[in-house]
Amino acid sequence: MTAPAEIAVERHGGTLVAHVTGEVDMTNAGHVRDQLLDSVPNDALGLVIDLNECRYLDSAGIEVIFDLARRLRRRRQELRIVVPPGSPLTRVLELTEVGTAAPIHQTVDAAVAG
Amino acid sequence: MLRRPSHRQRDELRALASRQAAAAEIGRRALASDDLDAILRDAVEAAGRELRTDYASVLELTRDGRSLHVRATAGFPDDMLGGVMRADAEELSRIALDRDEPLAIGDFSAEPDFEPSAVQRELGVTSALVAPIGVRGRHFGVLGVYAREPRRYEPDDINFIRALASTIGLAAERNRHKDRVRDSEARFRELADTTPALMWMTDPDAHVTFVNEGWLRFTGRTLDEELGDTFGLSAHPDDRAELLTRWRRAFRRREELRFEYRLMHAPTGSYRWVLEVGTPRFAGGEFAGYVGTTTDIHERRSMEEALRESEAGFRDLADSAPVMIWTTDTRGLVTFVNEGWMRFTGTTLAEELGSSWALGVHPDDVEQMLDSWNASLEAREVWEYEYRLMSHTGEYRWIVDRGVPRYEGGSFVGYVGAAVDIHERILMQQQLREVYEIEHTIAETLQRSLLPERLPEIEGLRLVPRYLPAGEAIGGDWYDALERMDGRVALIVGDVVGHGLRAAATMGQLRNAFRAYGLVESSPAEVMARVNRLVMSGEDAMATVLYLVLDRETGEVTYSAAGHPPPLVLAPDGAHFLEGGRSMPIGAADPAVFREATGVVPPGSTLLLYTDGLVERRGVPLEDSLDALAEAAGEAEEDLEKLCDRLVGTVVPKLQPSDDVALLAVRPSAVNADALRLSLPAEPESLALLRRRLERFLHAAGADELESYEIMLTVCEAAGNAIEHAYGPGDASFDVEAALVAGELVASVRDRGQWRDRRGEHRGRGIKIIMGLMDDVNIESQNGGTLVTMRRRLAHARAA
Repeated sequence: MTAPAEIAVERHGGTLVAHVTGEVDMTNAGHVRDQLLDSVPNDALGLVIDLNECRYLDSAGIEVIFDLARRLRRRRQELRIVVPPGSPLTRVLELTEVGTAAPIHQTVDAAVAG
Repeated sequence: MLRRPSHRQRDELRALASRQAAAAEIGRRALASDDLDAILRDAVEAAGRELRTDYASVLELTRDGRSLHVRATAGFPDDMLGGVMRADAEELSRIALDRDEPLAIGDFSAEPDFEPSAVQRELGVTSALVAPIGVRGRHFGVLGVYAREPRRYEPDDINFIRALASTIGLAAERNRHKDRVRDSEARFRELADTTPALMWMTDPDAHVTFVNEGWLRFTGRTLDEELGDTFGLSAHPDDRAELLTRWRRAFRRREELRFEYRLMHAPTGSYRWVLEVGTPRFAGGEFAGYVGTTTDIHERRSMEEALRESEAGFRDLADSAPVMIWTTDTRGLVTFVNEGWMRFTGTTLAEELGSSWALGVHPDDVEQMLDSWNASLEAREVWEYEYRLMSHTGEYRWIVDRGVPRYEGGSFVGYVGAAVDIHERILMQQQLREVYEIEHTIAETLQRSLLPERLPEIEGLRLVPRYLPAGEAIGGDWYDALERMDGRVALIVGDVVGHGLRAAATMGQLRNAFRAYGLVESSPAEVMARVNRLVMSGEDAMATVLYLVLDRETGEVTYSAAGHPPPLVLAPDGAHFLEGGRSMPIGAADPAVFREATGVVPPGSTLLLYTDGLVERRGVPLEDSLDALAEAAGEAEEDLEKLCDRLVGTVVPKLQPSDDVALLAVRPSAVNADALRLSLPAEPESLALLRRRLERFLHAAGADELESYEIMLTVCEAAGNAIEHAYGPGDASFDVEAALVAGELVASVRDRGQWRDRRGEHRGRGIKIIMGLMDDVNIESQNGGTLVTMRRRLAHARAA
């Protein structure tokens, strides 16, 4: 059984916001990455990954963030992450130093504003 | 109360059982015996008997594909056996082969498009059913049955003849393969012991495991003296230290070893220069040791030394030497080749002098050889290269060519080189690798596909399996159990037609296919259909399977029986069989319709799944055997292990089974709320299930939302590691345990692989998460596996 994850993308000016709902683990991490990458056109300023509704994110999911940040950087695009205060994901993102690759914000608005 | 099948069902069951037995019997003989003629004879007899026809035959296609050779007959006049007929005179056979599928003619008089052959007409043949043997492109021939009466051939008949034809095809293929293996082994040994080259082999620990006759003759030592930790033992004392240093370095890096040194030559009592070449060998990706050859290059070395002393003396010596010698000027143009060179190539001195480097070199080797030579020349380094050179007979032979720069009075004057014919050595090395690969493939197939002795532990279910092989050969029976995402449990028992490596391998594949589809698909009939499609699109294989999904809470079952005997429910109020969902065996036809049925296993019941070895007995109607089984099983209250032992101990000996017996007894048990114990297949798909179970357990243990998330994530990271260690999909499982001990949550993940050094940042992150989220983490290797134990104190643990 592959972990269920859904991605909904919307545009906020020049920035794309991808809302990730569900669970990301090694069974679907590659698929999630491809979907996110495909959602960013070349003319976009950057991508915001909204983890408000993400119930589970393991090291394979974190690898996706690092990988995306690398790829977007090459295209001169920025990656930002949204994790609400008190999310169970917070400590894991700190431990793995995700902030060094993609700035972490508490709300989508803050992330879009940069 | 035992429910009895209806009369029609009984007849169908009986015919099906009888045919299955016949097909399995042919399969068994095919794998137990090398005598293809006997197997074919048995097969035509079985075909005629089971399909109740007057005649049956196997016709083998000759190599040119234009004739058919009568290999086996039943019912036909004796003098037909051994005869050869033209393929186009046998219209039915030809069409069946062309279409690559069975062909049935119910009545020749009603089918103007088809004609019986002259022989068939003479014998009064009115109807026929023929099936191609083997796969398209490699057809062995045709299996056919013929009757004097018009007949309607049912799908079951066609499936049966297809199954028989497929078994015969496998037997023929296997015979072909066996001959090849035997040939190549024999060729290797013969070569190894008759060529002048010296050969050796080591295991992965660098211990010598083989030296050939040539080596023993050269060193004058015995095989016993050579085997083991003996590397370099007979080397000249002045060379030994460097030989060993280079050997150890090459071995450590799994690189080729190439070294010239002096080796004790027992017949002359002196040391001779040899070139040692050792290459690592790998089997299935695993390092398996080194294979090496040692070539006597004493003459060449003597040449090089003589040249250093005087040019004239060198040429005299060179022409009488049994090796191929050459010199060049400073630009690399050839200035001399000796008699030995020209004897080998059949060329003249005029052709060889000058810019002749590409002359006679194999087209596939020439470019790289020239690159290598030019690079060495430019750097004035020693050059050595193995390539194919055309000999005077027109045959390309492998040689090793080596040139060293020479200096006179301190200035570079060109190269002197010598080549040695190493053709046999190269061939041998190739062959040795092949033989090794074949052996290894066989062993690996065996290892990978043997029956799962371990069943996963499933909460709330007690599972007791038994397996009784019928004889020496490995059977194709299996049982399995897996927990689905929806909380239901799939139980599987199956029986692959045939025996031996092939059946075992098929069993392994089918088992994995059922595991995979069983996780995704909730309907047993759909699981069957999917596996069937998979089997039909791949190899020739047939199996009977019982696939059942059990809801542990309600006792509801949904099941499908593909040519398989019905499971037995030992309920508190009596025994009954689950007789619905009867379908065709897997691998019999495509498309095929698979049925499923539902039933209820009342609380306190025991469910018995088994293969037909438990009930099948020659000459006894199947329903009688089923009755006997139900009676023997008796009361359900008994201890499950004892029940299985009793069935195996009393029912089986009475049957004197000619087939393997697999038995799986299943009994719902009370759920353990204090600790979590799980065994899951080492596949990424297990993670989602593991998360659900951990969540449930952690919630019960009193963990808050954050604790629960972090502990679940940590355990899954460790599990992810175990999954990545697994040898291959479906091959292994891992165990997870979690318990609350004095307010502390203790979780462990145990696998059967090695906790490897993870490369890349990604894995590093997994470890960071594990270390960062738990209070204490311990990783230890034990019994060929890894055990990760993690602890974390809970803020508000549930009181014990």
